[in-house]
Amino acid sequence: MPVDAGALEFIDVHKSFGAVRALQGVSFTVSAGEAHAVVGENGAGKSTLLKILAGIARPDRGEVRLNGAHFNHASPRDALAGGIGMVFQERLAFPNLTVAGNIFAGREVVFPGGRLNARAMRARTQALLHELRLSIDPDLPMEHASAAVAQLVQVARALAFECRVLVLDEPTTSLTDAEVDHLFRILIDLKRRGVTLLFVSHRLPEVFRLCDRITVLRDGRFVGTFDRATTTPDAIVRAMVGRAPPARIDRARPPASTAPVLSAQSLSRAPWLTNVSVDVRPGEIVGIFGLVGSGRTELLETLFGLAPPTGGRILVDGREITFDSVRDASRAGLALVPEDRQRLGLHFNLSIRHNIALARAARVGLGRIDTAEESRTAQSMATSLGIRVPDLSSTPDALSGGNQQKVVLGKGLATSPRILLLDEPTKGVDVGAKFDIHNLIRERAATGMACLVVSSDLPEILALADRIVVMREGHVRGILDAAEATEERIMQLATHEVAVTT
Amino acid sequence: MKSIWRAREFSTVIILLIEVAFFGWYLWPEAGRAHPFLNLGNFLLIFKYSSIYGIAAIGAAVVIISGGIDLAPGAIIALTTVITGYLFVVAGWPLWAGASVGLAAGACSGFVSAQLIVRARLPPFIATLGIMGILRGAAFIVTEARFYDLSAKLPRDWHVLGVSIDWLGPIVMVGLAIVFQRLMTGYQWGRSVCAVGGNETAALFSGIPVNRIKTSAYVLSGALAATSGIVLAVVQGQGKADLASGYELDIIASAVVGGASLVGGRGSVAGAVLGALIFGVLRNALPQIPGATFYDRLIVGVVVIGIVVMDQVLTRRTNAGT
Repeated sequence: MPVDAGALEFIDVHKSFGAVRALQGVSFTVSAGEAHAVVGENGAGKSTLLKILAGIARPDRGEVRLNGAHFNHASPRDALAGGIGMVFQERLAFPNLTVAGNIFAGREVVFPGGRLNARAMRARTQALLHELRLSIDPDLPMEHASAAVAQLVQVARALAFECRVLVLDEPTTSLTDAEVDHLFRILIDLKRRGVTLLFVSHRLPEVFRLCDRITVLRDGRFVGTFDRATTTPDAIVRAMVGRAPPARIDRARPPASTAPVLSAQSLSRAPWLTNVSVDVRPGEIVGIFGLVGSGRTELLETLFGLAPPTGGRILVDGREITFDSVRDASRAGLALVPEDRQRLGLHFNLSIRHNIALARAARVGLGRIDTAEESRTAQSMATSLGIRVPDLSSTPDALSGGNQQKVVLGKGLATSPRILLLDEPTKGVDVGAKFDIHNLIRERAATGMACLVVSSDLPEILALADRIVVMREGHVRGILDAAEATEERIMQLATHEVAVTT
Repeated sequence: MKSIWRAREFSTVIILLIEVAFFGWYLWPEAGRAHPFLNLGNFLLIFKYSSIYGIAAIGAAVVIISGGIDLAPGAIIALTTVITGYLFVVAGWPLWAGASVGLAAGACSGFVSAQLIVRARLPPFIATLGIMGILRGAAFIVTEARFYDLSAKLPRDWHVLGVSIDWLGPIVMVGLAIVFQRLMTGYQWGRSVCAVGGNETAALFSGIPVNRIKTSAYVLSGALAATSGIVLAVVQGQGKADLASGYELDIIASAVVGGASLVGGRGSVAGAVLGALIFGVLRNALPQIPGATFYDRLIVGVVVIGIVVMDQVLTRRTNAGT
């Protein structure tokens, strides 16, 4: 095998989809055996680059070279045969097949005559899993595997075909910290054995932890390749966004004597919530931090009338409220911006205008739609939230993650709520949109709206919240004032028992 | 709203016009003889028979847009002719009373389907497949292979308010199409049906009463199928358990050809009626072509696939252009 096996060169690559110019002359080099990160905001061209490597798309102009040879793969199968393995962010697995079946899907080992050689595949799988330090059964049905195992099975699939280049697209999105550690140990191990890693991620701390060099893309163009040793996360962010972050909106905290507009008293919902008490005052931003399974999302769902509590009370303006449905909650002045915008927030068959007006209309009743008023509402929301879209009558699927999130936010705000519940308001949006959304939340709070923000992003909680409620296993483990809160203190409360046992 | 009209129903109208033009040309008679296809009497005939499918297709389109499917319309049509026929002919009720009971039965069947889907969480295909069998079976049990002859008791050459009863079906179909097209595009109910079909969970999070909306779609589908049944009973003069067999698929095909997507969230009521007319023209014109009789089902199948493929190609092109 030549010494430079695994080197990738992108030479003036152009690619357009219809009128969208996804890549405009991108050139950079990935040396063999290095861990190379590609970062950029949504729409920067990362996924197009990945599609070209995976053989799903071909460049319109320019060239990709693998080990110095022209690379022209017509299909994902060719790419795999050519030594490029892909690990995607979504769980691209066959839940109905076993782990071994997944690893060899499409390229099964067969006896002459075509019968499947299950034993050979099983043995090979066993060896690969051992190599990845995974103690799972090759015959485990994939549907019973965790997200972390599913990622590692994709890695195993790439290794099974002896790939020299491993391309990872946001592989840590659904993993816990411990699982990320495991994945990174394996990746570093692979790198040591000469496998080239191309790592695409939003998470700069992970990029800095794993990668030797970092290439930044913006709006389909190459911005620069930076050496880890000589750059900083701040410099990378500036290169990604192309501008300095907007100034942070300052607002005064409401006085502690103000009566709460929303208060949950000893709220329980078996088995997720036990005795949870939270107050939010008008104009206050309360952050809720907790790990997966802490009950943070369940708390918002219960407050929003999506599931009845099994105990405790919910008070709005001091009066006890029993929500039977989302409509009741909405009438009482609550709005929820849900966590998963694609699944819970957006209708891709409806126009952006109708999406924004939907929750508001559901509250008004089943009458004739006032289209003029609907247009005005949607237009003013789009303007005040800075949704960058040429035409509100198009569907939201063409929007970037950040703009989609703003549409969902607008949908909630269009109901004119007094209490805004936000679940992971900036999950998967790019850095620029994140600043915008933070400022929008501060703006609304400054006008007297009570905001309850759930986030697993610690810096976000610290940047936004006046008070921070830390949850673990369905209990409130502590309420910290912004002034006394630090990342360490919050993590300690959120993981206390875990820290003791491991 | 105008852009929606241009986007889909418009192309269905064009297909219909091309179809009519084709058969007008193909069946052009020798000089001096009347055109067998292009004449007012024949168009009335096409409308009359298409309306049986067309009225039910309005309901089918609403169900499909809400993300479901309804296989029961054919059986509901048959049961309605039987109920109406029995009450009118055997029990001696006035026609309007018999028809009202038939209509109520259709709406109730739709309600039961909806409860099976919403409460028992059955997939719509299974729930309505079961209901289809039960209703068709009930119609056979009631009639015991008899049929009720309404035509003997109905006035000959019946006119209501000076309009021949032959126009009943077309008038009802066009009237209902206009009403439901408006309800689907300009009212909260229609918007909610689209929202539920497009993303049920997001609809729930938006405060839309998802179960009520779904129930309304199946009740409507049942009631409209029953309306088809009443029209069929009056026009054909019969109440019989084996009428309208296999209609459910033609009704669904009408809605799909008219732009309804089986994934849910997309479609049009007016399109479904136009789809029914497209099939009505085929069924009327093909038997007039010598030797084409045996090809009629095959051609209908080819047309369904052809139109939907064309539609998808066009949609893809429009999307790529933006």
